[in-house]
Amino acid sequence: MSSAVTDRRYRRFGLPNRRQSVICTDMNRAADQTQPNPLREGISTRAVPQPCSVVIFGATGDLTHRKLVPALYNLAADGELPPAVAVVGFARREKSDDEFRKEMEEATRKFSRQSVRDEIWNTFAQSIFYHQSEFQDESGYESLAKRLDKIDKERGTRGNRLFYFAVAPDQFEPILKNLKAAGLNQTRENSWARVIIEKPFGTDLASARELNRVVRQCFTEEQTYRIDHFLGKETAQNILVLRFANAIFAPLWNRRYIDHLQITAAETLGVEGRAGYYEGAGALRDMVQNHLLQLLCLVAMEAPTDLSADSIRDEKVKVVRSLRHFTQEQVGANVIRGQYAEGAIDGKPVPAYRAEKNVDPKSTTETFVALRLHIDNWRFWDVPIYMRVGKRLPKSGTEISVHFKKAPAVLFNKELSDQNVLVIRIQPDEGMSLRIHAKVPGTSFRVEPVKMDFHYGTSFGKASPEAYERLLLDAMGGDATLFARHDEVEEAWAFIDTLENAWAAKKDAPDLFFYPAGSWGPEAADDLLVRDGRAWRRL
Amino acid sequence: MPAVAENYSLGLQVEIGKIDKELKKLWEPGEGAMTRASLMNLAVYSEEPGSLEKNTQLIAKITENHACRALVICANCGPKENRVDAWVSAHCHVSRTGGKQICSEQLSLRLQGPCSELLPSIVFSHLDSDLPFYLWWQAELHDPMDPQLWEWVDRFIYDSQAWKNFSEQFRLVETAQGEAKERLVLCDLNWTRLDKIRYALAQFFDHPASHHHFAEIDNGRIDFAPGFRSTAVLLAGWIGAQLRWHVEQKNGATKIQFTDAAGRKIDIELREKEGEHPIGKISLNSGGIEFSVAHAKCGDLLEVCRGGADENPAPQLMPAQANDLASLMSQELMRGGPHRVYLHAINCVRDLL
Repeated sequence: MSSAVTDRRYRRFGLPNRRQSVICTDMNRAADQTQPNPLREGISTRAVPQPCSVVIFGATGDLTHRKLVPALYNLAADGELPPAVAVVGFARREKSDDEFRKEMEEATRKFSRQSVRDEIWNTFAQSIFYHQSEFQDESGYESLAKRLDKIDKERGTRGNRLFYFAVAPDQFEPILKNLKAAGLNQTRENSWARVIIEKPFGTDLASARELNRVVRQCFTEEQTYRIDHFLGKETAQNILVLRFANAIFAPLWNRRYIDHLQITAAETLGVEGRAGYYEGAGALRDMVQNHLLQLLCLVAMEAPTDLSADSIRDEKVKVVRSLRHFTQEQVGANVIRGQYAEGAIDGKPVPAYRAEKNVDPKSTTETFVALRLHIDNWRFWDVPIYMRVGKRLPKSGTEISVHFKKAPAVLFNKELSDQNVLVIRIQPDEGMSLRIHAKVPGTSFRVEPVKMDFHYGTSFGKASPEAYERLLLDAMGGDATLFARHDEVEEAWAFIDTLENAWAAKKDAPDLFFYPAGSWGPEAADDLLVRDGRAWRRL
Repeated sequence: MPAVAENYSLGLQVEIGKIDKELKKLWEPGEGAMTRASLMNLAVYSEEPGSLEKNTQLIAKITENHACRALVICANCGPKENRVDAWVSAHCHVSRTGGKQICSEQLSLRLQGPCSELLPSIVFSHLDSDLPFYLWWQAELHDPMDPQLWEWVDRFIYDSQAWKNFSEQFRLVETAQGEAKERLVLCDLNWTRLDKIRYALAQFFDHPASHHHFAEIDNGRIDFAPGFRSTAVLLAGWIGAQLRWHVEQKNGATKIQFTDAAGRKIDIELREKEGEHPIGKISLNSGGIEFSVAHAKCGDLLEVCRGGADENPAPQLMPAQANDLASLMSQELMRGGPHRVYLHAINCVRDLL
């Protein structure tokens, strides 16, 4: 294996570079710029990324306030950011640096996972700047370029730029074009420019391809980071560790032993002021195309050859490519769409989707989808994968469950209906549980299911970082493992398009089912499993 | 309902033969949602009178972040007759996700008599099965080292800062490691004290463009608090070992001179300075640039700064390592893997410790 390949392997997942233990003993080569830092050897924390400026487009928006700046603060507080870093907010509204800093301080105090310390904030705040411009205004980017050059000189950010698109998708193209026109997509000697794009990456295959085309005109694939915050979650990353670091699961992880998989992403919230976006997207585009298919990839992929970004993404994309596509007729039998009607959550009445603000009273946008999928590959052929995602469900939670085949119906198992189930809890209460059978104490031979439970919050003395912390740090460090590649996105859209097209058909379009808010979705979703002799897992 | 050691009492006194039974009783159904959790067996061995209460207090803090079965042992090797007193208790803390209480068991043992005879049998019979065994040794080590015990230990925790005779004590540590067939991971809390400082110093050199400074460092200074000279020497040893320097000479207690592979001389000054932090400041000078890590005024943060004639300093605050034992232990328990770099550092400056 070449040393470059070995390097990539050990950079992934924050692992220390294996070469360090060998090469750092040869300090004759210390001045060689390709060598790792010998003082890093044995330090468990990952290397601090290179100095850089993080430019956030959409700096006055919700994502910046709730997630991005609090994440950057937490990284600074944990000592994970380089000393020379600058955060430049780019937005339309008039605002001074100090006003923006004040706003960000308030937001961080409200949304940060750890409490804000004045000393750290005051130092961090010095690295925050605000740049006012319309997204379409070319001159705003020219002045941005000059400002970034000035910041490079003053703060030592070395010409490295990370552009974060926290804006609506219709702004991607003008921003990209203007960045290119101002030369901000260009990397200079020994520096880099990268772009992080928030979902949605298009609304269908054609628009995703077009977006990828536009992005490619400005940034190469290596410079492009398509963020899916589900992949930044500790438990999502742990799926690979569970599967490939524990020998006991490997022999069982196939069609011979797995009966079926379930993936559920439930939320109690309704559309919550996102009607403008959600009306055009729906649950299928909003959740399934990205988050749920990404989770499925992690559960179903083959072992990668190493831990480099492309090795992992190569395996993930094969899963999406292997998804069995439906004909129009098959969509109705395998995909159920629903929309919440009025009901109650936690005993409080909530309105129907169609009665929500800014929602068309005749809207047919789905707020719930249940799917029965198949992966046509050697490992999972004929293993049904049931997915459901929905708003206004009784409880919030994202889980993957692996349902193993029943033991032979002899001895204790004649009366048993339960299976062994391995549950991976993505959120909240991240962790895993395994359901097994045990004899109930007593003189009779009664067997009941019991649960072995692992909670991240209980077992480790360290709180998990927020997904955005991990992902921002990865992008600064040039690690694209937890970001979606263009072909993953396009393959996912190719699959989703067949469903959307069937729903949009004028003739024989599958029904939209209504479910009361606070229920687990329409009955048709239950029937999807009942007819296979199965049932949704109770969350 | 567990006998929760809220006021750091030793809990319920039990007969030595009934420890397991009494531990089980702790978890009989009671009020409130409680979960017994354990990631390791943590045995704490001390020969200091009154250490049971002091260590119970430490375990209460450590278990906030590291659920374990704790075996807190206080030995008095004086009496000729063996006697063992035992107590069981639990430390419960509300979990990070709220609601549920996560509880760790503690077994306290007061041993009297020829301690080395009793220790392995007592420890072995009360380990939680399949979990790693960490032994925190707070006493001086002495011959003979019981091979039976060391074969079972996964991580051996000690604080070399308190040792009066480093070479003799480290010889015994190496004996223990030999008994454990090199499997034993050595965890020196004096090394843990340097964790955050090492990290802060290392990050200056993450960018390959700064690597040329390694070959240009000509001097440095370490300020240490009274009683922490060994910590400062270990820090110097770490830099020396990682940059392949060799100790050329030591000028009394105040300076270590290294030579690098090219034969250049590098002087590291060790300066004792009043202060509450073991290492108050470290600075390295390379080609007119100073790389410094110092405790900020607020104490629990490090101020990290690179500055030179042509550079605007960009100070940054980073977390510092607290020096109390509970914090040091929590930090140490968070780290996994072998501490090879520690051994390199020790070997670099062994004669100076």
